[in-house]
Amino acid sequence: MITPRQLASTVILFLIGSSSLFLLGGNADRDAWISVIIGMLAGLLMLSCVTLQIQRLEPNRNLIELFKLYFGRIIGFVFGFIYIIYYSYKCIRNVREFADLSIMYLLPDTPLSMVILMICFIGGYAVIGGPGVFFRMVEVLLPILVVIYVALFLLLLSAGLMDLNRLLPMLEKGFKPVWDAAIPEIISFPFGEMVLFLMFWRYTAEGDSGTVMGMTMKGYIFAGVFITLMNIVTIASLGQLSGWSVVPLLQATTFVELGNILERIDPLVSLLLFSAVYVKLTAYYLGASIAFAYLFRVKLRIAAIPVGFGIYAGSYWFKSYMHQVNVGFERNLKVHFPIFQIVIPIVLLLVMLMRKKIRSKGKHAGTID
Amino acid sequence: MFMSNNKRKQETNTGRERQVEQLLVPDLDQNMERLQLFLGEGADIVHRTLTHRSFPDQRYSLFYIDGIVDGAAIGTMLLGLLEDGNKIIESTDGLYTHLTDRSIAVGKIRPAETIQELGYAVLEGSSVILVEGSLKAIIIDTTGGESRSVEEPTSQTVVRGPKEGFTENLRTNTALMRRIIKSPKLRFDYKVIGRETRTNVAIVYLQGIAQDDVVQEVHRRIDQIEIDAILESGYIEEFIQDKAFTPFPLIQNTERPDTACASILEGQVVIMVSGTPFVLIAPATFVKFFQSSEDYYQRYDISTFLRLIRVISFFISMLLPSLYIAITTFHQEMLPTPLLISLAAQREGVPFPALVEAFLMEITFEILREAGVRMPRIIGPAISIVGALVLGQAAVQAGLVSAAMVIVVSFTAIASFVIPAVNMGVAARLIRFALMILGGSFGLFGIMSGLMVLLAHMSGLRSFGKPYLLPFSPLIISNLKDAFIRVPWWAMRKRPIGMSSNQVPNQNRIGGGKRPDPDQGGA
Repeated sequence: MITPRQLASTVILFLIGSSSLFLLGGNADRDAWISVIIGMLAGLLMLSCVTLQIQRLEPNRNLIELFKLYFGRIIGFVFGFIYIIYYSYKCIRNVREFADLSIMYLLPDTPLSMVILMICFIGGYAVIGGPGVFFRMVEVLLPILVVIYVALFLLLLSAGLMDLNRLLPMLEKGFKPVWDAAIPEIISFPFGEMVLFLMFWRYTAEGDSGTVMGMTMKGYIFAGVFITLMNIVTIASLGQLSGWSVVPLLQATTFVELGNILERIDPLVSLLLFSAVYVKLTAYYLGASIAFAYLFRVKLRIAAIPVGFGIYAGSYWFKSYMHQVNVGFERNLKVHFPIFQIVIPIVLLLVMLMRKKIRSKGKHAGTID
Repeated sequence: MFMSNNKRKQETNTGRERQVEQLLVPDLDQNMERLQLFLGEGADIVHRTLTHRSFPDQRYSLFYIDGIVDGAAIGTMLLGLLEDGNKIIESTDGLYTHLTDRSIAVGKIRPAETIQELGYAVLEGSSVILVEGSLKAIIIDTTGGESRSVEEPTSQTVVRGPKEGFTENLRTNTALMRRIIKSPKLRFDYKVIGRETRTNVAIVYLQGIAQDDVVQEVHRRIDQIEIDAILESGYIEEFIQDKAFTPFPLIQNTERPDTACASILEGQVVIMVSGTPFVLIAPATFVKFFQSSEDYYQRYDISTFLRLIRVISFFISMLLPSLYIAITTFHQEMLPTPLLISLAAQREGVPFPALVEAFLMEITFEILREAGVRMPRIIGPAISIVGALVLGQAAVQAGLVSAAMVIVVSFTAIASFVIPAVNMGVAARLIRFALMILGGSFGLFGIMSGLMVLLAHMSGLRSFGKPYLLPFSPLIISNLKDAFIRVPWWAMRKRPIGMSSNQVPNQNRIGGGKRPDPDQGGA
């Protein structure tokens, strides 16, 4: 069972996840942070009007059960299966990000296969524990990571790296590039990814969906503000450079010198970024495993094994980090992910509402008879 | 009373004849013979037959085992019986009633009807009186004999606080707790475990404060133990802990009565085992192992500081060698240049990679520590000379290890002694080796992976159903007042939530806001 607070913690770390690795809305240059706010608000609309509505209508069922219930056995199975693929694919992307950046920043001589194996193992260990273990773990992790993030921001500030003038002039080229950068990219990543929580909401201990909705929204807004802040910090510290570097935030911290004690804190910062990525990939791994368990009627412990192998093998599909980023930002975000994050949930919600109407009509007619 | 229901059932099943055979008969000689047979031969078994002047045709017989009875009590009782035996009285009650009501000079007596019950009573240190012509015998509690007196605990010492420690004697231990908590709600549930040792075990809790389901769970798990012997509370700990394969201790132990009482007052359950001064405390959470009873006797500011020092020490003793290995092997750029140069110069002549070097030193230290515990006290100084000079100084001079590594290992060792609970220190020691391997092969990435697995592992742990990371996950903000920090007593208004029963209408420990304020007195 998950407490509402654990749910909110997981929403926050899940959303921060790998978004700290990239400069979101990079196409909008120094106005990227406005794009982030737009994306966040659009995502919020999506979350409150679609995803959370689905949960409110069926608080005790997860996505796979809903597909089976509302789309029939065969179509439901197909939809369930492609969602396993979708979750696993998201997990694979995060595993690759984690692995490639680890090699880039921490372990230049270690073979990729070993690093991916380690990541799959530490993810799988938490997944085998089940949602209760994972959510408790994130609750402990969140305050630690947030404190370190704040310390990092303060360091950047005190090192004199931040210059808010770099954000000016605002909206130099008008509103269009800002809007284009936000929709649909920033909805798809990271804010639309809340669709994963359709797998988790039913585990919350609180029975009424009001608390679940409230805590999810609170977590979402906290994460949104945090990501915007992070975006502002990155742009203010790096200016034009932020568009070019591989991991902008990490680039900024390489300039920090902590007295004479630690010369370069970027290995530590990369660990901080990776912890959030770890939470995100484990969440997807867990989601895919739960979906697998429900679809094929096996135990979660058993489901985690084939899903884990799939993720491990799938991680080799990308030829390089750049290939991975390119595929993600050029194709997935614009074309593929919106289908899973927006189209299918809306269709599902409409079907649910129609069914409900028909059922209530039928009941109505029944009482008259 | 001393038999569990299961055993009793088994005995009824073995046949009614044996049951009848075990019952006392009117013939004293036959009863005596059967009791002798039950107890077996032994020079320490004392047996004395006495007569009474007023009951000339009735003898009675006293049994006890020398050494496990209280000599003074036996003396008083015998004196009373002999004096009484010379008097002529006009009694119509019979000898048995006369003895129980008027002449045995010991407080606690009870009747018994079977040989087995009498035999086990004698083995536990009671005396038994068999009376001619009576179908009942008298068990007199004369348990005693030599035992260690109440001394200062050796394992959990404090500067300020009570200096009493538990002993091996269960009765002394229960008395020590009764003396601290004089509440009628204090409950002692007794059990006997061990087919051969028949060890007495007491489950102690405060009714209404402890959660009923936790108490029941403790009872249930202890009842399930089937073993021939219980020699220490560690036996019970391994049987009743929630998860077997974990480096972390899931049950606390202490030899301090004040610590045990403090736990009981917070709703935990204490399990006492006869024959050991170490009592178990369950359910336990991770933070409990970093708290010493002295934290509550010292001022809150220094207590908070010391607790933080302990937590930092725990992490140092777990992480420092692996961090050293990881940074010197993989991430040299993190160090300031002068330090890096100095380290590189030290390591120049060292033939091993940092991981091997660290392993050698850590293993050496573990051997030294074990030698320190096992060796006869008298050769202690020799070990310290060998350890400090030969293995430290000389190894560095010989170029086998670098001086920095010796510093790291010694500091790690000192840090591991700071943790008040020895079993948590042991956990850090074991985890340290795994993290050293990870740090040596994957650098900081490996250490972080190890810590993540550790965190996932700890999130999954439970102690009697209570999450191991309790005040942090699930987060209970009011419990944080007494976790890694301690706020002043007047600010800890409530008992820790989650551990104690929710049914108590008044959870408050402290009435009203009794914050010290000189102006309040009307001055």
